[in-house]
Amino acid sequence: MIESGQVKDRIREYVLEEFAKTKGIMQITDQEVLTKNGVIDSMGIFRLVSFLEEEFNVRVGDEEITHDNLESIDAIERLVIAKSKK
Amino acid sequence: MAYLLQQFLTKSAKAYPGKAAVWARGQSITYRELDERSNQLAHFLREKGIQKGDRVGLFFPKSVESIISMLGVLKAGGVYVPLDPQAPADRVGYIIANCGIRVLITNSEKRASLTPETLSTLECCLLTEGEGEGCDVIAWSWLAEFPAAHAPQVSLIETDLAYILYTSGSTGRPKGVMISHQNALTFVEWCAEEFQVRSEDRLSNHAPLHFDLSVFDVYNTLEAGATVYLVTEDLAVFPTSLASFIEAQAITIWYSVPSALMLLLLHGRLTPEKLKSLRTILFAGEVFPMKYLRQLAEVSQASELYNLYGPTETNVCTYYKVERERLASMEKLPIGIACANTDTFSVTPEGKLAAKSEAGELYVRGPGVTNGYWADEEKTHKMVVPNHFQEHFEEKMYRTGDIVTVGEDGNYYFQGRRDSMIKSRGYRIELGEIESALLSHPGVREAAVLAVPDEVIGNRIRAVVATHIAGSLGVLELQQYCAARVPKYMIPELIDLCAELPKTSTGKIDRVKLAAEPVGAR
Repeated sequence: MIESGQVKDRIREYVLEEFAKTKGIMQITDQEVLTKNGVIDSMGIFRLVSFLEEEFNVRVGDEEITHDNLESIDAIERLVIAKSKK
Repeated sequence: MAYLLQQFLTKSAKAYPGKAAVWARGQSITYRELDERSNQLAHFLREKGIQKGDRVGLFFPKSVESIISMLGVLKAGGVYVPLDPQAPADRVGYIIANCGIRVLITNSEKRASLTPETLSTLECCLLTEGEGEGCDVIAWSWLAEFPAAHAPQVSLIETDLAYILYTSGSTGRPKGVMISHQNALTFVEWCAEEFQVRSEDRLSNHAPLHFDLSVFDVYNTLEAGATVYLVTEDLAVFPTSLASFIEAQAITIWYSVPSALMLLLLHGRLTPEKLKSLRTILFAGEVFPMKYLRQLAEVSQASELYNLYGPTETNVCTYYKVERERLASMEKLPIGIACANTDTFSVTPEGKLAAKSEAGELYVRGPGVTNGYWADEEKTHKMVVPNHFQEHFEEKMYRTGDIVTVGEDGNYYFQGRRDSMIKSRGYRIELGEIESALLSHPGVREAAVLAVPDEVIGNRIRAVVATHIAGSLGVLELQQYCAARVPKYMIPELIDLCAELPKTSTGKIDRVKLAAEPVGAR
């Protein structure tokens, strides 16, 4: 069973290291819209989904790759928690 | 007859005052509102001292206000300069200084991202979002104080500049392509005729506004009295949302880079039903792999497909209407034949017209071709050259730098570049600009930037960097260093660090050897 706090920490660390820092963005909040400042772009979104699938052993379908589900670290955590309960 | 871009709006505002002109994030604005708001903005800009030919920067995310701003600047007699809202402050600051922008339309968040040096050069910022402060930072609501019924009186002719688009420059700094009203109109009028854009059409705008693909979306909409639906980043990044958007808004004409269409094909859950409203799909900016084009043709049976080709300096200069019956056997997609009122020819390295079977560099002449680069005579003289094939009077032609051949079918086929410019997601990237950025780091001794071919996005960017002191620099540090100097799409995704770059016998960096080695080999 994954702890909620751990999930968010892993997601935050991944987004920060893999996407934000390489683009010169040194910090992001959990509510920040990740597409707004180009932290995550149209290619990055699929790298993020692959990470979520491998890291948390969940399956994210194309139809679930939406703004509502993935817009921020908070939203991504909600998606992962909801999926891992199924 | 229209000879200025803003006349398309004036005409359509009379014919279709209550019709939606622009849609973004669920909100729309009618032709009358667009006409009135842009009139008010034009009066405001005149009051702020904007004269004919003065540059006004647009630095905020794509929105209805973007289109109002473009038209407002033109009506004031000014020249608008769309700035990438995601570009680093250093690059935005360079462009603002390079073309002498004194008035910037921005929002409070973007304004706060500018350096103090840049801010000190600006006389006035108009904020599309946020509170005004004093007389040099002004809130959008202030525009309501200005006359809406008519635009200011400014005498303009078709050869006056309309906008400047900055693209990657090989010497390390972006260069500003100057586009006149006539340059843009030549393209828009050809599109209106070729694609028969009508007032009932619903066009999408996928490209960012600092990218020349957006010129079609915006001005052909205004020309026809149609509606343009702006694809904002909350839609662009999510293929299934984008597919639903096309269906829900019943988009009839789509224009984007092929990689955006490929992501839709791969992850958008496209069905013929979702695309049934699309009568025309246009793509440009990079090579469309045949495998994906066939898939697109399969799922969009009712659409006409067009491959458009042309550097920003020429808008679009050649086009190919996809012949569906040839798709199964076609190995490479042609870039087609010259557009109306545009002449193209290929020239050998000796400066002679290429024979039918010969490869040559594509040259373009016609009223769609730019006069050159802002404040860069040297670069302008290199690319916009005298037409020595014309004996009787002086005329200019543009060298595209693209090597082409003419096929048996009479179409041009793109074969490659004669320099180190590459395309990634349709963006022009001068590898030299990235190398300059890396070399400006004090810890970097040598740097070579290479393109790694990628099926979907065209190219990924790899840098091989030799440092002065081994272990003194990390990959992330170099990426961040680049992020402060070049746009996000130019940051090397892969960086290999080493002690020394391989050299050829003449002492030059051996790029052939570097390109042949596996990524991460160093």
